[in-house]
Amino acid sequence: MPLIELKNLSKTYNTTAFPVQAVKNVNLQIKKQEFTAIVGPSGSGKTTLLNLIGGLDKPTGGSVFVEERDIATLKANELIDFRLHHIGFVFQAYNLIPVFTAKENVEFIMLLQGISKTIRDKKAVELLNAVGLGERIDSRPSQLSGGQQQRVAVARALASRPNFVLADEPTANLDSHTAESLLDLMEQLNKDYEMTFVFSTHDPRVIKRAHRVVTLEDGAIKFDVGGKN
Amino acid sequence: MITSLAWKNIWRNKKRSLIIILATALGLWGCLLAGAIWMGWGESMVDTAIDRDLSNIQIHKKGYTQNKEATNFIPDGFRIIKETQSIAGVKAVSGRTLIDGMASSPISTFGVKIVGIVPAQAKKVTDIYNRLVEGNYFAGNGRNPIVIGKKLADRLGLKLHSKIVLSFQGLDGSLNYAALRIVGIYKTESSLFDQSNVFMQQADLLRLLNSKPIIHEIAIRTESARIMPQVYDALKTKYAHLAVQTWKELAPEVAFTSAAMESFTYIFLGIILFALLFGITNTMLMAVMERIRELGVLIALGMKKGKVFAMILLETILLSITGGVAGIVIGGLSIAYFSHTGIDLSALASSMETFGTSTLLHPFLPLDMYIALPVMIVITATISAVLPAWKAVHIQPSAAIRTY
Repeated sequence: MPLIELKNLSKTYNTTAFPVQAVKNVNLQIKKQEFTAIVGPSGSGKTTLLNLIGGLDKPTGGSVFVEERDIATLKANELIDFRLHHIGFVFQAYNLIPVFTAKENVEFIMLLQGISKTIRDKKAVELLNAVGLGERIDSRPSQLSGGQQQRVAVARALASRPNFVLADEPTANLDSHTAESLLDLMEQLNKDYEMTFVFSTHDPRVIKRAHRVVTLEDGAIKFDVGGKN
Repeated sequence: MITSLAWKNIWRNKKRSLIIILATALGLWGCLLAGAIWMGWGESMVDTAIDRDLSNIQIHKKGYTQNKEATNFIPDGFRIIKETQSIAGVKAVSGRTLIDGMASSPISTFGVKIVGIVPAQAKKVTDIYNRLVEGNYFAGNGRNPIVIGKKLADRLGLKLHSKIVLSFQGLDGSLNYAALRIVGIYKTESSLFDQSNVFMQQADLLRLLNSKPIIHEIAIRTESARIMPQVYDALKTKYAHLAVQTWKELAPEVAFTSAAMESFTYIFLGIILFALLFGITNTMLMAVMERIRELGVLIALGMKKGKVFAMILLETILLSITGGVAGIVIGGLSIAYFSHTGIDLSALASSMETFGTSTLLHPFLPLDMYIALPVMIVITATISAVLPAWKAVHIQPSAAIRTY
């Protein structure tokens, strides 16, 4: 049973000038613990596809099944709740809450889930230790380097115990050494936590590590290489 | 943690938050102080009117206030004085014999109200004896002593120990004349009162009237303003055949002015808060617009729109309450200071006399206003937060995340 299944997925943006079809009839299955990179040139629909999988955008056609549940049919608040409990996000610009410490950033997601303070505290420290930031739990994002911030973002993404993590260009703002180190971490988490990762990227370092590479061109899948099938 | 986030968010742009906090604090401070001065003024009007002659409650024969004939006295008035003194909550009682007449000097004549009092009783009810600027309050044994107001003395060109001639109609309709010696000159906050009220000993007045002991007015002082309604009810029940009135009924203009001051303060406060509402809304809108990406991320991560709305609302309330508390504290301290020292308005003495208020104002703000104010601030903040919070919950996370 696939963890994520896209059936005839389409997304058309109705701009004032003319409609733009960002994703065209995409059919894709992603199984648990896959380490998948969605690649393609700028404007190929990578981010739109990731947003559709993550429930951040509504498709104009087709379905997005996560564990056999069509998230495209969920109402706005149900979708938010679904994201909170099933999906972890890592963004290109880290997007941490600047007034919170690293620990508070990780803890915040668990707070939204209604987890008790004691458990939140324990788990936030555990996750920050896992991403190698055990010594920086009380640092604010402005006191951390780009790589460290992205590690906090990864810890935050895992804090909600999601079914999978969507990472949109996670290494785009990082130098080579930091990017490799972050990918090491994600690979480790993929193995240790059996966590499924779906990347949108055009970074060859990510593509090299991915178990499966899905290439998009003009919103449609051109190649699908690797994977568990 | 949401409260902590909201509080921390306020201080992300310290300068902007401080400006709105300062504006709120100064607006409220000015409003509270102005309101306290108005209300102190209203209180002063009430207090001086009660102390000067109104007292808390008065009893007359029914219809006396419409027809102030000398024959309209309270039947069996002295028995009622005695009975009234034993009613719970009554502090002091003074019976007054009242006659309208003319006061003359060699240079002029004025219409006056001649008030016949028992000085020992009157001292416990009103404070004219405390307002003497010359002479004494019926302390000597001279024949036909009289205490008159400074304004009347000036108008009639009379001084202490001068003779004043009063003319008035007796109970039988005959016209009486009497020469009296001025033993005291008083000055109150009301020049109108000073020029139209003269005080005689009741026994002297009755003798000149050639009348049996009669009284037209019983002035009652209660132990406190709070107990006045109970005393009033007891008197009203006991003396249903007489006109029992509180000072509010006797001087509705004073009661109205005092109540109006409180209303003015609330209206002024409302205007200040209404103006602040736009400032707060603008500040919070800017805060939301600056944080579109971050709010989009929060929604993407799973923060429900209700919580986003609550967070913006909380930020607005915290911002407003911070300014509000600062304003209340500064306002409260200023009021406490001026209430202790008083605000000297003697430069405006002649105008103040027209209103019958003291020239030393003691600002005062009732406790309920200190309670109502935070509630009003929270309501203002809630209204201010609606538009920014509405903007925040309508952020599209997918678009907001890509905002730089």
